[in-house]
Amino acid sequence: MASVSVTNVRKSYGHVEVLHGVGIEIEDGEFVILVGPSGCGKSTLLRMIAGLEDISGGDIAIGGKVVNEVAPKHRDIAMVFQSYALYPHMTVEANMGFSLRLAKAPKNEIQQRVRDAARILGLENLLDRYPRNLSGGQRQRVAMGRAIVRQPQVFLFDEPLSNLDAKLRVQMRSEIKQLHQRLRTTTVYVTHDQVEAMTMADRIVVMRDGYVEQIGSPLDLYDRPDNLFVASFIGSPGMNLIRGHISTDGPVEFIAADGGRMPLPGKVDLERGAEVVYGLRPEHVTIGEGGVDAEVILIEPTGAETQIVCRIGAENVVVALRDRIAVSAGDTLSLIPDLGKLHLFDGITGRRL
Amino acid sequence: MKQSLGHRLFIWTGVAVLLIWSLGPIYWTLASSVTPAEDFSARPIHFLPQRFTLDHFSRLLGIDLARIGGVEVWAQFRSALLNSIVTSIAATVLCVAISALGAYAFTRLTFPGRRFLFGAVVATLAIPAYAVLIPLYQIMISLRLVDTYLGVALIYVSAYLPLSLWLLRSVFEALPLSLEEAAQLDGAGRLYIFFKIVLPLAGPGLTAAAILTFLGAWGQYLVPLIFSPNVTKPLTVLIPEFVTKNFIDYGLITASGSIAIIIPALVVIFLNRYLVSGLLAGSVK
Repeated sequence: MASVSVTNVRKSYGHVEVLHGVGIEIEDGEFVILVGPSGCGKSTLLRMIAGLEDISGGDIAIGGKVVNEVAPKHRDIAMVFQSYALYPHMTVEANMGFSLRLAKAPKNEIQQRVRDAARILGLENLLDRYPRNLSGGQRQRVAMGRAIVRQPQVFLFDEPLSNLDAKLRVQMRSEIKQLHQRLRTTTVYVTHDQVEAMTMADRIVVMRDGYVEQIGSPLDLYDRPDNLFVASFIGSPGMNLIRGHISTDGPVEFIAADGGRMPLPGKVDLERGAEVVYGLRPEHVTIGEGGVDAEVILIEPTGAETQIVCRIGAENVVVALRDRIAVSAGDTLSLIPDLGKLHLFDGITGRRL
Repeated sequence: MKQSLGHRLFIWTGVAVLLIWSLGPIYWTLASSVTPAEDFSARPIHFLPQRFTLDHFSRLLGIDLARIGGVEVWAQFRSALLNSIVTSIAATVLCVAISALGAYAFTRLTFPGRRFLFGAVVATLAIPAYAVLIPLYQIMISLRLVDTYLGVALIYVSAYLPLSLWLLRSVFEALPLSLEEAAQLDGAGRLYIFFKIVLPLAGPGLTAAAILTFLGAWGQYLVPLIFSPNVTKPLTVLIPEFVTKNFIDYGLITASGSIAIIIPALVVIFLNRYLVSGLLAGSVK
């Protein structure tokens, strides 16, 4: 096992720079997830750690040793590909033992390690099968098995669950997390799915357009997003974000672009008239007397909670309630925001205020 | 879906015309090879042989010559058959081996002039053989390669390499790169990946290239006419020699033609098994 440090790493294709000086310190044994919309550079960064892409600038070190010029096979890493990349003409056993055979490990050791990995992943009965005779979930497990057998310093996962159906994805998610808890191998995992990131990671790196937007634990990102992008990216349903400004006279209030008024916590220290974005997570709203009037547009029960889309002025706001209340479209609700959990962002820079 | 009678009639007529067009000459060759020599001049022409004989084959293969009489051709035929087989197989093996390595380099390695070089090699497809025969003859003379297996095979290779290279490059390009990357991370080197991962998966493409090269080499006439005058003379050059100034030996021509059909047919039937697609199923996605 080893730490991974990415220092001011850049990547250009010709004149186009796709990673603009990325820095991430991953501790030994940590499970770090790189997340962001497609094209943000997360997969490119992962492939650079693997050695499949050249590094245009900066350093990548594994276990304290800079590996910029080290061939992939000498980096002691294992990667699980989005497409699984199983060797179709080899059995499951041969697939999993491929790297050990290449390393000329003794036959009985190969067999032992393949069997151990197969046991962990529940593949014992499939060792003689070919990849074409496996289901999607089984192929996914074989791909992981091939990585485990190596006992590498670092695991790299490139969107490993995106080819699976929703139910299997949830199941594999917990299996991968349990696997990490068991093996404690440093893991870097790429996904575009923020739910995957939230549920599995020790720390999340949110990326956009080749920049790191924020690094932190899942709940850090959720509770204290650094900027509008992270605020909107993390959380489902997403945070309600309303553009507007601070009232110029009278009581200190937030005035939405359409003129609607929302309360602010008493202790805010903001310039009058400043442009801000008012951020409120759906579950940080309660219903009670003396709140902001909102018209119910749509009711979406999920069972555990009920999501109500309502309109305050011209803005749509989503409210998630654990209680089941009797409302229907067209009703008016009085919403009370939990001001202790309010997020305010600079309207121009998007930074957290 | 029910098709109208007219539509079906139209289709069946088309199929029948195509079948007659492509199989007709083959049938005529096979039928003539078992027809007695006297019947060749019979009029009207019979579609089915009226009498059956294996005399032409006996004469060709030198069996029971005393009974039939005539000239001994078995020695010539045997060596021509052998020459055809040897040069075609040699050309096929060399061509597929060289083009597989070359196509892989053109697909996965980046080196300066890669696109230009590939374009230049493939562009030679457009050069007709007769345009370069004379200079080629001079080169082969100076290399002492005229009328040698190696010389003829090398000319075939140069003729079929561009096509094979082109075909295999598109085959390799279609293979998922992630497989090779996975192997790379697993510790495999370039050549190991090529032989253990890429080649097994490119089986159908290699087979197609082999069939094309073999059939092309088997049917070559102009090149061996010039470069294989004696020792390495193949069937294509020998068979027309059964036509002499005074006599066209239809029996020998059709009997040797029948055998010349059977060999490539066997090769195609044998290799066809490896043309199966779907070999990649289950590796990615």
